[in-house]
Amino acid sequence: METLLEWARGPIFRGALAFLILGLIRHAVLTCFEIARAVHRAGDKNIPYWALAKATLQWLFPVRKIKDRLLYSITTVSFHAAILITPIFLAGHIILVERSVGIRWWAIPNHLADLLTVIAIVTAIALVIERATARDTRALSRFGDYAIPLLVALPFASGFLVMHPAINPFPYTATLLTHVMSANLLFILIPLTKLSHCVLLPTTQVISEVAWHWPPRAGSEVAVLLGKENERI
Amino acid sequence: MSAMEVKTGKYSYYVEAKSQQIADRPRKFLEAFAAILDRSNYGLALEAYARLGSKCSRCASSCQLYMTTGDERDIPCRRSNLLLEVYRRYFTAAGQWRARLTGGFVLTDEYLDLMAEEYYRCTACRRCKMLCPLGIDHGLITHLARWLLAEVGIIPKALLVAVREQLEGVGNTSAIPVPALKDTCEFLEEEFRDIYGVDVKFPIDVEGAEYIFFPAVSDYLLEPDTLMGNAAVMHVTGGSWTIGTGNYDGINYGLFYSDRMMERIVYKMVAEARRLRAQKILVGECGHATRSAWFVPTFCGREGPQVVNFMQYTARALREGRIPLKGKVIEERVTYHDPCNIARSGRITEEPREILRAICTDFVEMFPNRTENLCCGGGGGTVSIDEIRAFRTGLMGKKKAEQIRATGAKIVVAPCANCKKQLREVCEDNGLADVQVVGLHDLLLKAIDFGVEKPAGENGS
Repeated sequence: METLLEWARGPIFRGALAFLILGLIRHAVLTCFEIARAVHRAGDKNIPYWALAKATLQWLFPVRKIKDRLLYSITTVSFHAAILITPIFLAGHIILVERSVGIRWWAIPNHLADLLTVIAIVTAIALVIERATARDTRALSRFGDYAIPLLVALPFASGFLVMHPAINPFPYTATLLTHVMSANLLFILIPLTKLSHCVLLPTTQVISEVAWHWPPRAGSEVAVLLGKENERI
Repeated sequence: MSAMEVKTGKYSYYVEAKSQQIADRPRKFLEAFAAILDRSNYGLALEAYARLGSKCSRCASSCQLYMTTGDERDIPCRRSNLLLEVYRRYFTAAGQWRARLTGGFVLTDEYLDLMAEEYYRCTACRRCKMLCPLGIDHGLITHLARWLLAEVGIIPKALLVAVREQLEGVGNTSAIPVPALKDTCEFLEEEFRDIYGVDVKFPIDVEGAEYIFFPAVSDYLLEPDTLMGNAAVMHVTGGSWTIGTGNYDGINYGLFYSDRMMERIVYKMVAEARRLRAQKILVGECGHATRSAWFVPTFCGREGPQVVNFMQYTARALREGRIPLKGKVIEERVTYHDPCNIARSGRITEEPREILRAICTDFVEMFPNRTENLCCGGGGGTVSIDEIRAFRTGLMGKKKAEQIRATGAKIVVAPCANCKKQLREVCEDNGLADVQVVGLHDLLLKAIDFGVEKPAGENGS
């Protein structure tokens, strides 16, 4: 078990982290390249960037959007805040990074980290329950839509138990292994699934606008490709 | 929804018989899809939407159809997923590998029929985009899906016939020949003389005018008051304008089913502007005509003529004090309907309100409004499909009727030919028969002070 843990914390973690970073960089670079290419091809290059930036910021910090579907919005905003803040600003994580690469940053108090962790777990479960009980979301959802929030909650639940051995009913090493491996799994899944919205969300408002800006003669050229340029209506 | 769970449905709208005879539709659909992805910028959006769609269904709470039906099929995300499923399967590497390994989704005739039904249950009003955290534009997907369906012959007959008449027939969607246009304009000029005692002109084929006028051509048949209001504004402001006999129709149903057709109609409009050496295109009171004309820079680059909606012209003239008014002569309660095609993007929301506040004593807003307005229920060209009136005014228009009723207004101003037709039917079918639906310039006409003491035809007309 100890050897396995060393592997999980060592090469597997480094590989998963590299996959995450390179995967997200690839998404970001390709998406920006495709946006630039689309704008370059567009007949009308007048893109309302300021309005799009405003819309993007409104969704990145959705304070004004909470009133719509209040319960769901509160759940999802709390969920995102908790899962972003906790792992990055947890003192234990920062110490590990400092030991490894020699840099450190400001940490949140452990009791706040505990609170955020509980929020992450509770809201992840709540998201699944809300999805399963609301008629419209239930109709749309597949296995992955339920599994992903629970999978995101797993490193938080195991991490909480690692931090609180007194209430942990499982062996410490097994719990830590679960924590590290579930995080590794998430790192790999983020670039491959809809979780990639963590880097792509800032681009979607622009994408939805630029997609309406077609190249000049796009319609005529489609007609030629389809052999319909002389076809009667 | 699993792609395998589709049900074959008969379309709710008429299609031409020849479209039923097209063979091998799935292959042709995919060929058209590949061609469109190659030549347009839709692929950019589809790639992001297919990857990120989280199906949180916030969009459902914004859709006036879903609010009324509560039917899962009317959730915007679910509808969009129909096309995204095809995209994922045939145009992404992951989808192709998955198909090789597990078989999975295959595009069939039945699936096309399902899309044909579903994508004409959406008016492409784009309200749901406002509530999507990921910014997914379901209206864009409806727009694209309809184009793809059109390439395999699935087009509502009402839209197809109108476009055919415009591009291959008389030259406009209402099949109004030039002599009839001239007769109508002369008749309206006589009306001005008889009713108001002023000599207002509808200039025809004037070369070098600043503006060339493109109303929804149906206004010449159905909305004379709107046209008279337009002409009155040009008269009192001394505007330089003309109507071109080569093309006098702002309607562009290509917007509703095919970018190929839309492009041809925009070129036709620009060609007429260039023939008469007009500097700017002045679009009448019509939402979709304005939005279509806003695509002039897309198709013609920066060299294309500037596009101005008539309300923008009028509001500016009013601000500059160039429209003499008798005052706030409209005393009945008035409310304003924001046409989706000009308001959703926020491009035209304040101009009509400025004008209405200047002429109405009791102007009230309906809620929600401006960019968050509810569609009239006949958007996306569905207003022209008479055979779905019960759907349009019942399921799609119910929330709009409630919105109008809540204002207590007896006059609804809708500066759009399609919205006006739809709202009149919505009012008729929802117990609001006493509500009058009019254009903005219809009301403004009543308030303009022509400076004539005694109308010439007052006693005789």
